[in-house]
Amino acid sequence: MATIIGGIGSSHAPTIGNAYDKGLQKDPMWEPLFTGYEPARAWLDEIKPDLFVIIYNDHVNRFFFDAWPTFALGVGAVHKQADEGWGKRPLPDLPGDPEFGWHLARSLVDDEFDPTICQEMSVDHGVLSFLPMLTDTDWKIPVVPLAVNVIQHPVPSARRLFKLGTAIRRAVESFPKDKKVVVFGTGGLTHQLHGKQFGQKNQAWDNEFMDLLESDPEQLASLSLTEYMERGGTEGVEMIMWLAMRAAMGPTVKRVHRNYTAPLTTGYGLLALAS
Amino acid sequence: MNDIVSGALLFTGERSAQGFRINKMAASLTEPANRDRFKADEDAFMRSFGMTDAERQLVHDRDWKGMMDAGASIYVIIKIGGSTGHPLPVIGNHTAGRV
Repeated sequence: MATIIGGIGSSHAPTIGNAYDKGLQKDPMWEPLFTGYEPARAWLDEIKPDLFVIIYNDHVNRFFFDAWPTFALGVGAVHKQADEGWGKRPLPDLPGDPEFGWHLARSLVDDEFDPTICQEMSVDHGVLSFLPMLTDTDWKIPVVPLAVNVIQHPVPSARRLFKLGTAIRRAVESFPKDKKVVVFGTGGLTHQLHGKQFGQKNQAWDNEFMDLLESDPEQLASLSLTEYMERGGTEGVEMIMWLAMRAAMGPTVKRVHRNYTAPLTTGYGLLALAS
Repeated sequence: MNDIVSGALLFTGERSAQGFRINKMAASLTEPANRDRFKADEDAFMRSFGMTDAERQLVHDRDWKGMMDAGASIYVIIKIGGSTGHPLPVIGNHTAGRV
């Protein structure tokens, strides 16, 4: 039987990938972010996952608004890197896991989630910005990506993402082969990318969110999207994807590591949870 | 749901429909060949997407706030910025009226 052995919550941003590629790991502005990933990386090396399931959002790179899925699951053997409009990063394509991917597809549909099933699923910074800090970039650990619409409203609720996480847990537990799975919830934390409050963050809410994610995720699942956006900006609504990770972990978790920095327009959070 | 949240336009399906042509042109800039075509002749490239005179003018003017008022998504207009040399802080501050 497959088991979920860990959960990671992480912000994603093009700026993180750009800083990584430019070798700014020791730059004073970026050093707190990069060193913040090191304990989580060491923990992953220790627990040796066989698979990453990554809940993220596509930023109009794989999909366009002509046909924009609320949920989309990548079941292919390879996930290419999407060009986001300024050229690709020097990273190899990601390996997928079709056997688990199709199992997850069947299990989710049985569980009344109906993702668009993608045999070709190029991925953007929603997956690739933080991943090089957590695993070797020859990508030995396969990835099953699950994209969520958090851009074009109507966007699914925080409660819906929480339920998605419980459905992912049931899917992992019903997979017949042994497999150690780490689930990722990505995005956020607070950021506002346009309008009168451009650049505004809410660091108090970012930290309260990470507290509650650990101790009382039910409270976070009860908040409306408007509450998320009023506290954390219209783009901060991405934070709901962390709830899917948390629900996939089951009722109790043990914190392994937590980090928070906010040098630019986005609060960058990291939370590593053990089962 | 109120469609202005945190002082910003909420990107609703209706806005997405309004801005469909601008968004489609901008999203196509994820292809290197399209970036080359856009940079070589912005107007011809935009016309090939059926963009209206007013929509093309917004892009010519680098009027990021105007593009968003016309239904563009922040996530796609930064792709235009990728080809015109306008990074997110420039675009974001323009939409905030801080320019």
